[in-house]
Amino acid sequence: MGTTSTVEIRRPQRWDQPFDPDMLERDVQWLSSLPPFSEMDKSAFPANTPLDGVLRNDCRIRKVQPGEVIVREGDYGNSAFLVLAGSVRVVLGQLPPQSLGRATAKQKSWFSAISALWKQPQFPEVRTVDQITPGGSSRVQQHGDTASIFLQDFDGVVTHERTLQIGPGEMFGEVAAMYRAPRTATVVADSHATLVEVRWQGLRLLRRDRVLAQQLEQNYRTNWLMIHLRETPLFRFLPENCLQKVADATLLRSFGRLEWHSDYRRTRKLKPVEQIESEPLVAMEGHLPTDLLLIRSGFARVCSRYGEGHRTLAYLGKGHMFGLREIVHNTYRDSNQAPVTLQESLRAVGFVDTLHIPIEVVAEYVLPYIRRTELPDPISRDDQQARARHDIASQVPTGMLEFIVQERLNNGRQAMVIDLNACTRCDDCVKACATTHDGNPRFTRSGPANDGIQFTQACMHCADPVCMIGCPTGAISRHSETGTVSVHENICIGCGTCAASCPYENIQMRTMRDPKGRMYFDESAGLPIMKATKCDLCQSQPSGPACQNACPHDALVRIDLGNLEDLSDWISRRR
Amino acid sequence: MLHKRTRRTIALSITAIAVLIAAVATWLIRQRLGHASMATGWTLLASVGLLMLLGLRKKLVMLPILPVRVWTQFHIYTGLFALAIYLMHVPVVIASGFFESTLSLLFLSVAGSGLYGVWISRRGAKRLTAIAGEYRFDRFGWHRRTIADRASEIVTEVGQTGDVPVIAKFYRERLQHYFSTRPSLAYVLVPTSHRKRRLLTELGELDRYFASNVKQAAGRLAALIRNRDDLDYHYATQLRMRMWLAIHIALTVAMLVFIVVHVLMVLRFQGA
Ligand code: SF4
Ligand code: SF4
Repeated sequence: MGTTSTVEIRRPQRWDQPFDPDMLERDVQWLSSLPPFSEMDKSAFPANTPLDGVLRNDCRIRKVQPGEVIVREGDYGNSAFLVLAGSVRVVLGQLPPQSLGRATAKQKSWFSAISALWKQPQFPEVRTVDQITPGGSSRVQQHGDTASIFLQDFDGVVTHERTLQIGPGEMFGEVAAMYRAPRTATVVADSHATLVEVRWQGLRLLRRDRVLAQQLEQNYRTNWLMIHLRETPLFRFLPENCLQKVADATLLRSFGRLEWHSDYRRTRKLKPVEQIESEPLVAMEGHLPTDLLLIRSGFARVCSRYGEGHRTLAYLGKGHMFGLREIVHNTYRDSNQAPVTLQESLRAVGFVDTLHIPIEVVAEYVLPYIRRTELPDPISRDDQQARARHDIASQVPTGMLEFIVQERLNNGRQAMVIDLNACTRCDDCVKACATTHDGNPRFTRSGPANDGIQFTQACMHCADPVCMIGCPTGAISRHSETGTVSVHENICIGCGTCAASCPYENIQMRTMRDPKGRMYFDESAGLPIMKATKCDLCQSQPSGPACQNACPHDALVRIDLGNLEDLSDWISRRR
Repeated sequence: MLHKRTRRTIALSITAIAVLIAAVATWLIRQRLGHASMATGWTLLASVGLLMLLGLRKKLVMLPILPVRVWTQFHIYTGLFALAIYLMHVPVVIASGFFESTLSLLFLSVAGSGLYGVWISRRGAKRLTAIAGEYRFDRFGWHRRTIADRASEIVTEVGQTGDVPVIAKFYRERLQHYFSTRPSLAYVLVPTSHRKRRLLTELGELDRYFASNVKQAAGRLAALIRNRDDLDYHYATQLRMRMWLAIHIALTVAMLVFIVVHVLMVLRFQGA
């Protein structure tokens, strides 16, 4: 049934879409005449990605005004900034969300939650003007062709908060950009300043310059590495000097493309075996372990060869380790025994950032401080542990495991999962969602299904919420404690960037109406006011997610799909 | 969290113990020549009151007062308990006289529709999952139209390639109506695949009269017939799952009215 005809298309090129299409040749010239670019070693860049190309395609020049918010704490990092002229201020304390333009949903009292029942508007998406325009101490202002948030009370902030001034030649936001982490501080323009914003793709290329690379790595090592290591439960009893030795020896590596969401639609259509083979190999089964691997961000697939393909056994996320079992076995084995090789392979699903700790360092500075009971058992021929691990996977059938990774559902921290064998399709869950959102349901009961389990299309509040990338006003953000990803409608300008970026199509752009049902129109452009809408996990409701609360048949659950054991538990209780 | 089966066993055991206690209490009252029917009557009334709570809870989804699934389980087992108490309360399963017999019938139909609900919820959900496709209730009309449009396009397409009266006639006489109408009430009540099989057989029998391009079109029509049958099966099952609830609620309302009158009469005659 094969066909021999071909369709010829142009292979997409890197830099097909420059960061700033308006970047001119003279801007590039100007940038390359300024440090640090003027001091960079041009020969370190390969011919197909020259330094000029990076400046032209991965950078944009931004002029900011005093009080303009450049990055907000909690924003999703996607680019780094270099100050060219003027200065900016990093606010070290936490600013109240309102001053960043974000209206946080207040927890409703029982009475006000119930009273919403008889106050249901007659029209869809009804808002008062205050709900959809910035209020209080911030304002959204068109600045050039972008919308920016301005701190109204900038002087007050500078006076009352601890701040740090950053001047020409200094960089900020690079760690968040490189490791797709939320910004840890808010940065506001101190004066009229000129910045160059480098998207992460460019930043990775710029690391070809040895000096810059060293500086970036040094920054990471000083500010973050110890924190990441300390967060690892297995290292909790390590004395500080050992942890420091581990940190010194640790190698930082990345695999795959951070832009996984743009490849996702294409790769999910591949056959599982092809998809797995297209994933960058982090460690290969059958090779001797050389490092203990720690996942810093992203997801990795643990798989082993099976027949002509690969069988997925598990996937690992932030904080998980790979290779420990083999390292422990080899360290404590009898001297007459041969060392074992890696029992499984590890592959990057999308992208993954890893920390590699050499085995000698693990043996000397880590293993002595871990209780033997916490260490994995030695590997034996009828490998108990492999079976135990396989048991976890067997509650989640292999097909489903492959399916979850193929659809990138492992990204969901609060995924909506429905057991179709228990779901009577009564839609009480949808009705409950509508009841708690003024008559506007935030999901429809549809979505990909596998083996009688449906992964419903409702915002999953992802571990890597790519919807947050590129939101110009920071209107879509993640709550630092609960992890809930929510849209702050008062500053959402309705550009639809988030809806276009969500790989699961879980954001809808909706037109807003006043209580009389009249559509709001933008006074200057004359276009309807649109806002991004999605599941907010009923964060203002006393009940928590109403969908889960309302299902009469115990068919629906909000679950962290990044943690296979949760899913496995849930499935085993039902079968 | 316990396994579903374990939870069911625990809940059934608790219900059985409650019924046993009620039965012993009734027997003791009777032994002492007391009015056992008063005790069972009030217990029954209290149970009906508890059964009502589920409806209220479903309205107040925004409150953190145990998830609806817990209330549903409570409702089911309280319902079973109430049925047992009813049997202790009444002298005969269906009382005599217009009023009392209607009340008995109403009670039994509420209980029966409840039990049917439990059964169809479990079985229907599994059957729906087993039959291909996943359809939302509000979209059935759209799906039917899409299938009908595709069928008509297929016939028009082959019509353009030459003289194809056989398939066009078959479409007009046998398929057009099938695709353009909703399934009948009989189908909704007892969905069977007779009609699908008949149509497929008839279409198969015409196969020898078709040219090869028409054969292909006939194959696509056959797929649409199967598709439509699956859709109808989903529709019938979902509709029945929704209808039983509507009927259960309507019967409950009627029963409540009769219960109120019954209680008032009992109080009146007891006082007399
Ligand atoms: S909108 Fe999409 S990407 Fe963003 S958190 Fe929800 S599911 Fe994830
Ligand atoms: S409430 Fe439960 S049973 Fe009803 S449609 Fe939703 S998941 Fe299915």
